[in-house]
Amino acid sequence: MDEPQILWFGWFRADIIKEYEPLFWEGLRMTVGVTVVCILLGTLLGLLLGLARLADARSPVARVLTRVLLRWPATVYVSFFRGTPLFVQILLMHFAVVPLFMNPADGWLISGDTARDLRQNYGAVITGIVSLSLNAGAYISEIFRAGIQSIDRGQTEAARSLGLSYGQAMYHVVLPQAFRRMLPPLGNNAIALLKDSSLVSAVGLGELAYAARTVAGAYSRYWEPYLTISVMYWLLTLLLAWGVRHLEVRYGRGDSR
Amino acid sequence: MTIRVRALSCVLAVAALATAGVVPAAAQRTYVVGSSATYPPFAYENAQKQIVGFDVDVINAIAAKAGIRVRLVNTPFVGIFASLNNGDIDLVVSGVTINERRRQSYDFTTPYFEARQLLAVPASSTVTRLQDLAGKKIAVVTGSTGDDVASKAFGKTSANIRRFDTTPLIIAELANGGVDAAIGDNGVIAYRVREHKTLKTVDDASMAKEYFGIAVKQGNAALRDTLNKGLAAIIADGTYATIYRTWFKSEPPTLPKP
Repeated sequence: MDEPQILWFGWFRADIIKEYEPLFWEGLRMTVGVTVVCILLGTLLGLLLGLARLADARSPVARVLTRVLLRWPATVYVSFFRGTPLFVQILLMHFAVVPLFMNPADGWLISGDTARDLRQNYGAVITGIVSLSLNAGAYISEIFRAGIQSIDRGQTEAARSLGLSYGQAMYHVVLPQAFRRMLPPLGNNAIALLKDSSLVSAVGLGELAYAARTVAGAYSRYWEPYLTISVMYWLLTLLLAWGVRHLEVRYGRGDSR
Repeated sequence: MTIRVRALSCVLAVAALATAGVVPAAAQRTYVVGSSATYPPFAYENAQKQIVGFDVDVINAIAAKAGIRVRLVNTPFVGIFASLNNGDIDLVVSGVTINERRRQSYDFTTPYFEARQLLAVPASSTVTRLQDLAGKKIAVVTGSTGDDVASKAFGKTSANIRRFDTTPLIIAELANGGVDAAIGDNGVIAYRVREHKTLKTVDDASMAKEYFGIAVKQGNAALRDTLNKGLAAIIADGTYATIYRTWFKSEPPTLPKP
């Protein structure tokens, strides 16, 4: 309050943003970091889940096993994470699930001082990365499933008849073609993930929305902080969209002759 | 068509004049009260989804004395002043501490509660005062007085200050070992800590006395004066003391006069 007011365009109190500037930069770093990590983890998880949902076998026994061990669990998983609000998943994760595994008193996985240190220093980051990745994995698995199914069966059959194993056929023949078709929906998903990371501010993760909430809470002014992070999010999504378009052009080259 | 519309508006205008003449306008209006009902014992939702608590009893008693009608709306604290600004609610009774910064943007009634910041820490903690928390992780409610106290003591952009939306969340974070302490209003912190056997409260005597007030939109002197009159009346006739004893099991302090 001691610093002089700086007014932009006669109404935008730039001084309050300036006062909390470190929170916004730290927030930007956190938003970008969490988004990048979650895109990678979510894509990996999505690929595994997508393959699990497509798993099949020829012999009756193996077929039943793939159903029970792969298809059904993956289906239930995708159904749960797509069927419940992400915000609810984040609160459940932070205040219920993570404390169960990691708790100074009686954590199933980690307890004592290690648990306290982890929880205190990285609690919200862990919650953010775990819940966003688990959620993104569910959505991305559907993209993989659709992408793989969109490749004509003949491609797999041809590859297998040339002596390639299932894994080799997937890796060398099906996935490269499917990936090209999956790029636009994957890009959409990455943009959604970037925006959804704002929800983790509810558990105290110091990302962009947290910075805005702090300023709004301190000054009861809403235009300045939320407009500021809106512009920052918008620039980030523009950058991401540009990156995806770049990839599309690059991987689309084989098709355009 | 035009004639009918004009005739209709004439009838309406006459009707409006008639009602205005019969009863004072103030009595007709129901004032919307914003309160964040996650703040026992001040305001919280009971099993019947009604908002109850000290704040609720006080505003109802004031309204009865001042002859106005009020309707409570559960409004999250983080957006409560925005709702006041844009007219969704007419007044805020939500354990709001009167401070200089808020005075610049809103008008307050005379105090209706005396408060102090209280620390909550694990039962084994050696913390005895605010300064002992230097370098430790602290949970506060975004924009609350506890947030102010922590921000002033340890820097408003410090990564050691963890901000959450509600008091239950800061207590949950503390109970789960995510922070070393939580700071909040005495009434609420004491109430919450009683629910957790692993926690205790620490009273730092150096914390300044603060007062809760009812906030109205800046310039709404009419409503503020009406509320002040009602508040003075319930303090004078002992209603206030009865409500205070019900919720805090102790005798009410003497509140400052304007």
